[in-house]
Amino acid sequence: MSSVPTIFHLDMDAFFVSVEELFDPALKGKPVVVGGKAHERGVVSAASYAAREFGVHSAMPLRTAYKLCPQAIFVEGHPDRYRDYSHQVRAILENFTPLIEMASIDEAYLDMTGTGRLLGPPLQCAHALHQAIKDATALNCSIGIATSRLVAKVCSDQAKPNGILWIYPGLEARFLAPLPIRKIPGVGKVTEKNLHAIGIHKVGDLASLDEGVLGQRFGKWGLALAGKARGEDAGGWFDQDIGAHADAKSISHEHTFSIDTSDAELIDSTLTRLSEMVARRLREQGVHARTVQLKLRNRAFETITRARTLARPTQLDIEISRTIRELFRENWKPGAEIRLLGVQLSHFTSEAGQLNLLDSAQDERWREAMRAADHMRDRFGNSAVGLAAGMRGNFRERTHETLIPKPGAKKP
Amino acid sequence: MEFTVSKSDLVRELGLSQGVVEKKTTIPILSNVLIQAEGDRVFLTATDLELGIRCSCPARVKKEGAGTIPARRLLDYVRLLPDADITFKFLENHWASITCGKSKTKIAGMSRESFPELPEMPEQIAEIPYGLLASLIARTYFAISLEESRFTLNGALLLVKPEGVTMVSTDGHRLAFVDQQLADPANKSFRALVPRKAMNEIAKLAAEGTPDQKAHLSSDDNHLFFQFGDRLLITRKLTGNFPDYERVLPKENEHIARMSKAEIRSAIERVAQFADERSRAIRVRFEPGEVRVFSSSVETGESEESVSTEYQGPAMEIGFNAQYLLDFMRAISQDEVAFSLKDEKSAGELQPWLPAGDGTQSQSYRYVVMPMRI
Repeated sequence: MSSVPTIFHLDMDAFFVSVEELFDPALKGKPVVVGGKAHERGVVSAASYAAREFGVHSAMPLRTAYKLCPQAIFVEGHPDRYRDYSHQVRAILENFTPLIEMASIDEAYLDMTGTGRLLGPPLQCAHALHQAIKDATALNCSIGIATSRLVAKVCSDQAKPNGILWIYPGLEARFLAPLPIRKIPGVGKVTEKNLHAIGIHKVGDLASLDEGVLGQRFGKWGLALAGKARGEDAGGWFDQDIGAHADAKSISHEHTFSIDTSDAELIDSTLTRLSEMVARRLREQGVHARTVQLKLRNRAFETITRARTLARPTQLDIEISRTIRELFRENWKPGAEIRLLGVQLSHFTSEAGQLNLLDSAQDERWREAMRAADHMRDRFGNSAVGLAAGMRGNFRERTHETLIPKPGAKKP
Repeated sequence: MEFTVSKSDLVRELGLSQGVVEKKTTIPILSNVLIQAEGDRVFLTATDLELGIRCSCPARVKKEGAGTIPARRLLDYVRLLPDADITFKFLENHWASITCGKSKTKIAGMSRESFPELPEMPEQIAEIPYGLLASLIARTYFAISLEESRFTLNGALLLVKPEGVTMVSTDGHRLAFVDQQLADPANKSFRALVPRKAMNEIAKLAAEGTPDQKAHLSSDDNHLFFQFGDRLLITRKLTGNFPDYERVLPKENEHIARMSKAEIRSAIERVAQFADERSRAIRVRFEPGEVRVFSSSVETGESEESVSTEYQGPAMEIGFNAQYLLDFMRAISQDEVAFSLKDEKSAGELQPWLPAGDGTQSQSYRYVVMPMRI
């Protein structure tokens, strides 16, 4: 198996406008604005390339669009048609890979890792896909190919219109460096302005910046940015596997330390606290989780996730925190500084089911205890957790001694 | 070093070391087998630092010595050779030259200096027949926990007493307990936790001989030694405290359902097809004269079976993991089973049904299963 991921990002070219053109060929090549009449309130939902040359773009008020390009043809749009074509495109994608994520009606991520033998090298495969879509729908699309979703998305944007661009593994940072920072998905007007303010204009500027600075200035988001500037899938759903989340339901909590820490006690208490938070939500939803996953991001912004499947589904804070702390110990070199911790639970079942042979009585006591704890939290708010823990005396305190974050520890 | 062995001998002995050799290791030498030519034998040693095995076969030794070569590659290659004598010669650069008829091969090896030393076998504690060892393992192996975090449950407890030998395993949901008398009393009592992987290898080695042959057992502070004729298996003991199993063995299960194993087993097998795939939960309803087994799942459907039984207790409906029940049925040779119960929330116990006084009471097999909440 090839270990380097091959991710396609497929983006339909001016999708709405192109679909409109199929039904009214007279629109072809003209400035077209989809969204409504020129004088109406509302925003542009799509603009043809000809209209874009005048500065019209989606999400812009229709009236502004009219001012910029009064000669444009304004059409209402046909959502049913777009959906229909989107489904057609999706059906074609499914001939290429089962790992598809429709990011929106007109763009999709495809995990093509390991399809080389079947579908040929990435470029050849992308051409075949491009042609298949053209044949079936008469629509153009652009395809970006890279080792991460993020770079693939930037690629398809650079390839537009009607192009294919492949960034060879290893060249991601070099490809991104000369691009304006705005090209990074997630960098909007505000972030752009803030980055410009500190002299950052190109992605390369961002990548060469000390992460600490980004962290301080932009918090968690800044840290994700630094990763993105290097072409990594960092932050939010970019971390997820394509297609993986389709039916995976999970509950997670994360905490980013205000200052990177290697303080084992602080880390332990944070993990316990996070475990408590996810366990509480588990109980609220009346499910038991079978898989516990640790997310760990270090000073170098390397993110790892490590999951463990429990022998039996659980709802109990102690079992989750025990597992998560084990996972942490196994994946942490003492002294290494940690930036972010996360606890995720998944693989839910409605019943814990199997009773325990060795400590069933203790188990039952814990269930009761947690029920009581939740009760108190309901009544007195989540901040009553510490109080509730204290009220259960030594027993609870012993196993949960790190429950209450130490003074100075930032609340997750 | 230079020696000649028969292909079949070598393939057989090398095959026994494959389960021990580390497949994915960060220490390259552990993928190798240590080959030592001494006297009129060649010794093959493999280890993953937890488990070690030392086998040997007759050889014409021209020059004594030792070297190591990748175990898997050697076996894969030697298997393909014709059934004839194979001559090994170790070269200066630690490579092994292998000649068999017209086939000539050199396999890259490593110096033996870096190969770990295995501990010496101390004084013998007991002699246990191969057949008994195999049956102890077969009846406990499946109940060992695969959950790595519960490391004391990742193996079975082995108890040797002058009068007999006991093996116990549990994964926290069920527990298998086998107790058997020894014909030759052991020299002393001892207890140790045998890792799961070692049990697998012990079973393999026991299967190489006849049931009456006797394996020699001994132990030092950290290791257990099982000597099967010319083959020696050494395993690290698991450390930690095994749960107090005696506390778990039911004492008040007064309601007993006796059934034909074949009937209840195939009933459960069929019904389990429609159990929830993850939990494997089935319901077992005990009624006077009848045991009903049923399952239902929103996705797959539902199924029900009934098996006649001698049961006089109160009607009870208990949830069980079908897999747990089947594991037991598949591990025993007897035709009838006895399922003893207390109530819906307490552990049930399965035993092979042994008619009183037929002489087989020298062994005891108890299998305890916790119910599922249904």
